[in-house]
Amino acid sequence: MKRRPSLTSRRGFLKGGLAAGAAVAAPTIIPSSALGLDGAVPPSERIVVGGIGIGRRGEYDLGCFLQQPDVQFAAVCDVKENRRNHLKGVIDKHHGTTACVTYRDFHEILDRNDIDAVLIATGPNWHGLMAMHAAHAGKDIYCEKPCTKNIAETLVHRDTMHRCGTVFQAGTQRRNLPHFAFACELARTGRLGKLTRVYAHPAGMKASTSGWLPEEPAPDAAVDDWDMYLGPAAWRPFNARTLKDGFNFEKGGGLVGGGVLEWGSHCVDLCQWAVDDRPPPVDYAPPKDDQLVCRYDDGVELVFREKGWIPLGSCPVRFEGTAGWVEAGDSGKMVLSSPELLAGRKIEEIGGYPATFHVRDFLDCVKTRGKPKGNADAACNAHLACHAANIAIYLGRPVKLDLETYTFVNDEAANRLRSEARREPWNA
Amino acid sequence: MMRPMAILRTVCLVAVISPTAWAGSPGPGSSEPELLAVLRSDAAEADKAITCKFLAVNGSPAAVPDLAPLLSNPRLASWARIPLEAIPGPEAAAALRQAASQLEGRLLCGVLTSLGVRHDGAAVSLLAEKLSAEDAEVAACAAWSLGQIATPEATAILAGALDKGSEPARLDAVARAAVLCGTNLLAAGRADDAIGIFASVRAAGVTEQRLAEAIRGTILAQRAAGIPLLVETLRSPTQRLANMAVFIARGLGRGEAADASLAAAVDKALLAEIAKAATDGAVPRAELLIDVVAERNADDASEAVTEALAGLAGAQNAKPLRLAAIEALGHTGNAAVVGPLLVAAADDDSGIADTARSAVAVLEGEAVNQEIAKRLAGADAAVLPALLELVGRRRIDAVAAVLPLVNHADASVRAAALVALGPTVDLGNLEVLVVAATQPKSEAEGGVARTALREASVRMADRDGCASKLAAAVEKAPAELKVMLLDVIGEVGGAKAVQTMAAAARSGDAALEDAATRLLGKWMTADAAPILLELATAEPGGKFKTRALKGYVRIARQFVLPDAERADMCRRALAAATSEADRTAVLEILVRYPSAATLAVAEEAAKTPGLEAEAKKTAHTIRGKMQPGKKAG
Repeated sequence: MKRRPSLTSRRGFLKGGLAAGAAVAAPTIIPSSALGLDGAVPPSERIVVGGIGIGRRGEYDLGCFLQQPDVQFAAVCDVKENRRNHLKGVIDKHHGTTACVTYRDFHEILDRNDIDAVLIATGPNWHGLMAMHAAHAGKDIYCEKPCTKNIAETLVHRDTMHRCGTVFQAGTQRRNLPHFAFACELARTGRLGKLTRVYAHPAGMKASTSGWLPEEPAPDAAVDDWDMYLGPAAWRPFNARTLKDGFNFEKGGGLVGGGVLEWGSHCVDLCQWAVDDRPPPVDYAPPKDDQLVCRYDDGVELVFREKGWIPLGSCPVRFEGTAGWVEAGDSGKMVLSSPELLAGRKIEEIGGYPATFHVRDFLDCVKTRGKPKGNADAACNAHLACHAANIAIYLGRPVKLDLETYTFVNDEAANRLRSEARREPWNA
Repeated sequence: MMRPMAILRTVCLVAVISPTAWAGSPGPGSSEPELLAVLRSDAAEADKAITCKFLAVNGSPAAVPDLAPLLSNPRLASWARIPLEAIPGPEAAAALRQAASQLEGRLLCGVLTSLGVRHDGAAVSLLAEKLSAEDAEVAACAAWSLGQIATPEATAILAGALDKGSEPARLDAVARAAVLCGTNLLAAGRADDAIGIFASVRAAGVTEQRLAEAIRGTILAQRAAGIPLLVETLRSPTQRLANMAVFIARGLGRGEAADASLAAAVDKALLAEIAKAATDGAVPRAELLIDVVAERNADDASEAVTEALAGLAGAQNAKPLRLAAIEALGHTGNAAVVGPLLVAAADDDSGIADTARSAVAVLEGEAVNQEIAKRLAGADAAVLPALLELVGRRRIDAVAAVLPLVNHADASVRAAALVALGPTVDLGNLEVLVVAATQPKSEAEGGVARTALREASVRMADRDGCASKLAAAVEKAPAELKVMLLDVIGEVGGAKAVQTMAAAARSGDAALEDAATRLLGKWMTADAAPILLELATAEPGGKFKTRALKGYVRIARQFVLPDAERADMCRRALAAATSEADRTAVLEILVRYPSAATLAVAEEAAKTPGLEAEAKKTAHTIRGKMQPGKKAG
């Protein structure tokens, strides 16, 4: 399969795309750069972005957005007042204005017609549902991973992005790093021969839950909005530790989750790319000897394994075929079974898994309505594999996924774990 | 027996648990009666909450009477709905419907939503009633569930509720549900019904976003008959609608729901739009549509598409259009477009020429290579650099034709030939690059040759053969180039490369010893370990003993090794270490890989004067790690 052409790598289209004379509200900003008078991108061609739930990881993403000359970050929303205020400071300082607006309720940011896109970096409890709300509001979305909490939400999430015409980019930034892309290309294009196995590093194959910590006096909602923090998660009383740990809260929905979802949404995503973004594996066995083996419908195996990696940094992946193999990791380096696989190509080594290129890919696609690398379909397939693997872990036995219905074959217990009720009043 | 509350708190503390941690306690493996006993007891709310989750997997309709009362409990209702959405059979749905008649506000929203999740057809009349609830949130939840259920009755109710006079938020909630309903109808093969509900949405004065969604649904449902609507929407002055049209156009008839005749019809319509845009001078619009056509045809462009794109690439068109068309040809074309693209590659405008060369570089097919190789034979100095660039970028096997050009009279041709050999030359002809790199005609050409030599060397399948040739070159090369060649050998790797490094590290030449130990220190295979140890322990030893030991320790720490081999390496490293920092680094390796073998090394080290305390601590930690279930101290 050929690479999708990207004319925007040469030059950007006007934000207005096809529409002639589309009105765009000018931000209330003063500096000449904001008006495009010093060679900067003028407001009419900027993508106006709002941030929702920008924690530590989100602030890194925010930095990547702010590096882009065609981004105007106009608003931030967070349930925590101190985060809202801190981020407004960061954004205003960057733009040289005081225009960034803060919100506690995400509906207000989604209601703003001048905002084109949102960066969603809440905890994983909110990722899926927040993205669907944003899509319904007509926003394009860059959303951190894991993107969904269970199989049913994953499918609805993908369908919602299609239905709403949303440009969606999962925070799977390794898809826009050259060595990972090359490794996947080797696998996808048959250069490794017939693909036999793809390996992912889960960094922990356990079921997990966020529990119910002892009740503590709840702060004023204007300071920390606990109800909004809980969002779709089943109710529990306020507890400061739970509030602080949004990164892990309700990841995978409670009874299933853990490393397979946390890291799998990256490394399984790369494995999925290596197998040409086909539907996920059908057979999933529980872990044995630090390995969890899944099998695609053509017999290719997806292996979650904890050990045996060449030291190439975090998030390693390995692809094996009948004619060779390749292994790559976050150091930016890869190891090949034969240097011939390089075929004279120079693959840039970019370590540290920066998201800058991924953000740029997203912004380009916002302008062209194209499909970014971490699009909704790709994210869907990778997350389905992670959720199904987690169900095998939770049940402690093999499960088989039907790729027509995305239900488990003759397995009521597994099927009951496909979805989980959201706390009232939230729905998709 | 550990109670659920205690389990939950434990879970909170450790964050991660395995199913086996619950064995013997009420949990995933508990029977339904055990779980129901918790619900019926005066257990704490947290106990009941987690019990609800387990019932979602293990519960039967028998659990419904115990779950239903929780629906009115604001703290537990959300937990109770987890099993009530999952338990099969009519009992759970009946309990939800029953609760709906007694609840209000958010709790009512919850049960209405659960009825939608369950696709409960029996709830339609109830949901219809709630659609006009005073509480807008309740009405929105009822609408959503009707859209989920999507029976003819639910569809009619939603269509009827699309009242232009409604308060905007209410209308939007119904419109959103109606679009969901239409999508579900389409997925169920009821295209006509879907078109009907989408038409209702489009006529209801809804928001631009909802209108865009309904237009998409209509086009997908109408298939080829929807193309005029697609084109009309592409022309919309409303940005959101036009954006949706582009989004649709990128995939219609392609991908999972591929339909060749539909795809061809869409392409034809898009090409007509491009032509119209070009005629109208709407260049950005034409560029964007070219991008759309290119993406649609990335795998298998028809003759009609490539012909149209080749026409747009012609010199009579505006530069932005030409650039877009040239790029698109690169992603959709075949050998037939090589000619036109090479014409563009010779364009006076460097932007056009560069883009055209890049387009040829990514064209697929061996026929393209043959076409380029054929043109190479008779080309003059003006054209040769571009053709040679393509030989290199496409890795065309044309070494025999390229080799003579290394000595061409024109410097730019010579440089281009060297660059082309980087990705194409075979081991038998590698000497050409070695000579060009070590005996260059000019400094600039030497730089080009060295880059090409590196590029060629690292891709050679016969690594030892390549390293042998380079090692021979080290001996003959001028002093200032020996290190460069060693660096290349280091990148090549393999047994011969290790031997070459070993020899260089003992050569007595300070620069070579420096380079060799530096390279061995970051070697990517464990076979560098013996030579590193030898260098670290040699007496009197060289300037780089410490560096060699660090490299040896790195291999012990980072590489996949059998336990015994790693332990033996650590033992030797401890014996060779002369600094406390190095000894500490080795002890850390022992802790990182706890085994009987590494424990033995730690226990031996505990007898070494000066190392007793730290080694004893290491041994203690290893023992702790080796005991399952016990956290290391």
